[in-house]
Amino acid sequence: MSDGRSNDRVDGYAAALVEVARAEGSLPQVENELFSLARAFESNDELREALTDQSLPTARRQAIVENLLGGKASPITVSLVSFIVVAGRARDLPAIIDRVVERAAAERKHAVAEVRSAVPLDARRRQKLAKALSTNLGLDVEVKVIVDPSVLGGAAVRVGDTVIDGTVRHRLDELKEGL
Amino acid sequence: MLMRARAVIFGSAVTGVALLAAAPAAWAQATPTTQKLTHVNEECIKLLESGQDVSACQQAPNPILPATNELIWGSLSFVVLFFLLRRFAFPAIRNGMNARAERIRSSLDEAERAKTEAQSILAEYQAKLADARAESARIIEEARQSADKLRQDLRRQAEAEVAASKQRAQEEIQASVARATADLRASVRELTLELAEKVIQRNLDRETNFALVDQFIDEIAGART
Repeated sequence: MSDGRSNDRVDGYAAALVEVARAEGSLPQVENELFSLARAFESNDELREALTDQSLPTARRQAIVENLLGGKASPITVSLVSFIVVAGRARDLPAIIDRVVERAAAERKHAVAEVRSAVPLDARRRQKLAKALSTNLGLDVEVKVIVDPSVLGGAAVRVGDTVIDGTVRHRLDELKEGL
Repeated sequence: MLMRARAVIFGSAVTGVALLAAAPAAWAQATPTTQKLTHVNEECIKLLESGQDVSACQQAPNPILPATNELIWGSLSFVVLFFLLRRFAFPAIRNGMNARAERIRSSLDEAERAKTEAQSILAEYQAKLADARAESARIIEEARQSADKLRQDLRRQAEAEVAASKQRAQEEIQASVARATADLRASVRELTLELAEKVIQRNLDRETNFALVDQFIDEIAGART
């Protein structure tokens, strides 16, 4: 029941963000910037604690967002993130952004493949990976790359509930379990 | 009882009167000198008058045979006295004797009963004493058996506790060894993996990483075909 309400809320915020970005005519850019922010939010504990700390004044949290994204993201992206933080939903920020990306991709009849790699992938490899995934899954797939040094090497792909893990980290974990 | 006493007293009084009545005859016999001489004279006179020789008067009377009147009075007194005694004294005496015999018999019966009762009580007491001795012996035996059983139980319990403690100690030792072995194995595994990770990080350059990504992409593409 609570999960249902939470999902509805996340869907509602995601729909609102998509509509605003589309109205501004910058949905692809906002989508990419939000995706990068969501990954930073997940990997940075200090940032997550600062934005979710309800004891901090709203203006202080909003200033943190502006300082973090100012000059690195479009004003519409900064405004949308500030809106979510001021609304007290910073804890749901990654889920809302993932839903935004999914909605945007769905509008393009595409599925989103979240790829984690230790190194940034060039456009050729992105296209090759998107093609391989599209062939493998039978879907048109858009690749969103997250640079994550903790995977050590290789890459891992998550499309919806499907995960394909070819990272060195995963192999080390398997080796650890085997030992 | 009162009636019997009265009868005895009355019988005694009648006996006394009869004796008093017979007293003059006895007295007369006790003082026979003058009368006896008179009687002898009279008898002699009668003999002489009847033509007997004077020597007949000189025959000595029978010293044993009393005089006739004495026999008569004595017999009469005896009869009267016997009658009075039979009529009054004997029943009272008989009743008294009977009562006394009855009392003695009662006393004897009572004594016999008391003796029987005492013997019964003695037998009962002896039986109770024997029961008490048997009971005390049984209790002592039970106490001894209980003590033996308790001692054996305590010994078994102590042995079981010692065995359990030994078993626990062995299990703890084995568990400690197993934990230490597992910890050591985990530490070795962690160290090995950390070392492997460091080696991989040091040797996994950009090109190698791209090669791994390309291999991953090829595997995805190959999985379809």
